[in-house]
Formats: sequence, structure tokens, C-alpha cells
Amino acid sequence: MGKASRERSARERIAEQRKLEARRDKQVKTLAVAGGALALIAVAVGVVVMADAGKDEPAYTGPLAPTSRQDDGSVVMAKEGVTAPVLEVYEDFQCPACKGLEESSGNTIKQLAAEGKVKVVYRPFRLFGQDPLKGNSERAANAALCAPGDNWIKFHDRLFAEQPKEGKVGFENADLISWAADYGVSGAAFESCVNNGEKGAQVQAMTDHAFNTAGVQSTPTIVLNGKNVTDQAWSGDDLAKAVQEAS
Amino acid sequence: MTETRGEPDVEAWAESGGRERAAWIGWVTFAARLGLAGVLFWAGWTKFTEPVVLQRQAVDAYQILPEALVGPVGVGLPVLEMVLALLLVVGFATRLTAVISGVLMALFIAGIASAWARGLAIDCGCFGGGGPVAEGETKYLQEIVRDVGFLALAVWITVFAPGRLAVDRKLGL
Repeated sequence: MGKASRERSARERIAEQRKLEARRDKQVKTLAVAGGALALIAVAVGVVVMADAGKDEPAYTGPLAPTSRQDDGSVVMAKEGVTAPVLEVYEDFQCPACKGLEESSGNTIKQLAAEGKVKVVYRPFRLFGQDPLKGNSERAANAALCAPGDNWIKFHDRLFAEQPKEGKVGFENADLISWAADYGVSGAAFESCVNNGEKGAQVQAMTDHAFNTAGVQSTPTIVLNGKNVTDQAWSGDDLAKAVQEAS
Repeated sequence: MTETRGEPDVEAWAESGGRERAAWIGWVTFAARLGLAGVLFWAGWTKFTEPVVLQRQAVDAYQILPEALVGPVGVGLPVLEMVLALLLVVGFATRLTAVISGVLMALFIAGIASAWARGLAIDCGCFGGGGPVAEGETKYLQEIVRDVGFLALAVWITVFAPGRLAVDRKLGL
């Protein structure tokens, strides 16, 4: 092998080596960038998920304010003598967002009423007009009207807890009766009221009231002294603040 | 022509196919990044600014995930979308980001198709909202077609990454 060709092959080897190194550098850089991007995604998502996990509304386990049934079918929850401010809750037991609001702010509403800071009026009605949602909604609203006004809140909470998934038939009369029995609501009159949909006319009247008189467009709708405060009501803290300002 | 072109060939063609053609593709890729980023950010933002319970409810309405995952996905997904949007705009880890975005779109399409096939009546909750709607008010086909369009953008970016005005390019990738 001549000197020239030896030099050339050495140069080629060096060039090849450099190319290899350059490629390896690029690979390392690509991996580093990808790792950086993944880390950024993981941290951002992780922080929000963790923050949310620790933010469940504290359960309210204290005593409830007394509840009573009104002539129009609504249920008032208020400490004796408390007449203002008035917080009206328009809800449908089949409506997932209503269940959501119960989860996010239901405890706050109970606590505010128990502390005498607000008079709560529950106005369940039938939002849905198509089966199976309509039937579920109708049976639950009927049973909620059949149940007596005192100790009503526990049955109300149970209905949301047992809410059927979209597209499924649920809130069967037999189930409604057995859930009510857990809270001391039973007897032939109650069973017949549930089984025969005896409160159907009142459910319709409450539905008409919600749509036509109160101008409810969607559920849940939370009204404080006649003003729609649904946006604030999604957060227990914001709702408490709104009630504070209204009193 | 009998020659078949796989992805790497297209890529090589994009990089070596003459200065003008490469420039054209680079700008289209940049535009695709902005477009996909805009959609992702908007979708993430509208969900992120909603009450948490509604985010959860939108996920829950699909009746696919187990209860324990509904919450984390509900709040995590909007943030994931916004971070992906940010990465696409600046062009950082562009190809990886486009792949993740594409997989996400494919999952959305599968989720919507599954809800449709099971006869559920829900809103996809793609841009906030979500949950049950009245039968006859579902928009599954439009939602799927739209997501296929976004998937196409993600595929384009994956093939021609990173495109113009990208941090990746500044880094020599």
C-alpha cells in the first residue's frame, strides 16, 4: 500500500468517525429534547391531577336544618325563623350535572342552612322529555314528592347517588321504595303513591313552574334571591360568598 | 413507476428535493402546527375553565373508563391538550408531540365511535360541555370527521417535522 492511499484511507476513517459522532450527538439531543417534552407534560398534568385529588369538598356531617314540604311540592330546608336570603335549587334526579353540583356544593348548601345563613328551597322537576331519561326522571321526581318533607334530604341524596347512567333504565319503583325504607319512609300509602305515580300531576306542575315561571333553561339552576347564581354554585366557597353578600 | 415510497423516503424527498419544494413544505408544516395547536389549546382551555364536576361528567358520559380514572382524565386531559399545543407552537420535540397528538385524536375518534355504536346519546365534550343530549341531537359523524381532519394534521407534522420556525431546528434537529 502506497503512502498516498494510506493517508486517504486515514482521512476517510476520520471523516467517517466524525459523521458517526455527529449522528450520535443528534440522537442524544433528540432523546434529551423528547425527554424534556415528556417531563413537561408529566409535571403539568401531574400537578393538576394531584391538586384536584386533594380538593374534595369536606363532607358535612353536622345536624341538618329542619325540612318541610310546601303546597307547591317544593321542600324548604331552613332553621326556624330564617326567611332570607332564599336559595332555590332547580334539579332533576336524572341529570348528571345536578349530581355533579350535589357533589361539589351539596355539603355547603346543607351547612349554610344549618347555620341559619340561608333558606333553601329544593324544586325537583322533570327536565328530560325522552325515554329512558324521561321515565327515570319522572319516577324519581314522583317518589321524591311521595316521601314526606321531614327527613327528605337523605332520600334526595340517595336518589342522586343511585342515578342511572345515560341510556339505562333505572329508578325502578321497587328500588325507590326500598331506598326510602332505609330512611324510615314506608307504608302502604307511600308504596301506592310510588307505584301508581300518584304525584304525576304535581311533577308536571313543578316542571311547568321551572320552565315557564322561573325561566329555567338547563339543570341545575341555582337561584339566590331571584338571581341566577349557578356559575358560582359550582364551587362551595363561591356559593357561600354569594350567600354572604346577599344577606 | 413501481417504486414504493415509505415514510423515510418521503422525508428524504422533503429534505433533499430542492430548495423551493423544501421551503414550501416547511411552511405548510408550520401552518399545520399552528392549526393543530390552536384547536388543541381551545379544546383544552374551554374544558379547563369549566367546573371540575362538569369535566368529570363529560368523561363519565362515555361509560368507558372505570370510576377511579374518570376524575384524573377529566382534569388531566385539558392540561395535556394545552401543553401539546404549546409544544407544537414553538416546535419543541415536534415529531413526538405530533405523534402524541395523533394518538390522542385516534383515541377521541374511537371513543366517539364507541358511544355511537352503543347507542348512547351524548355530546363529545370536545370543547367543553359534554354529557347526555336528547336523542336526535347527537353529532357523532361531524365530530368524527372533524377529528379525522385533526388526525391528518398530526400525521403531516409527524412526517415533515419540525417545519419552519421551530425550536427543534435551532437545536439542529
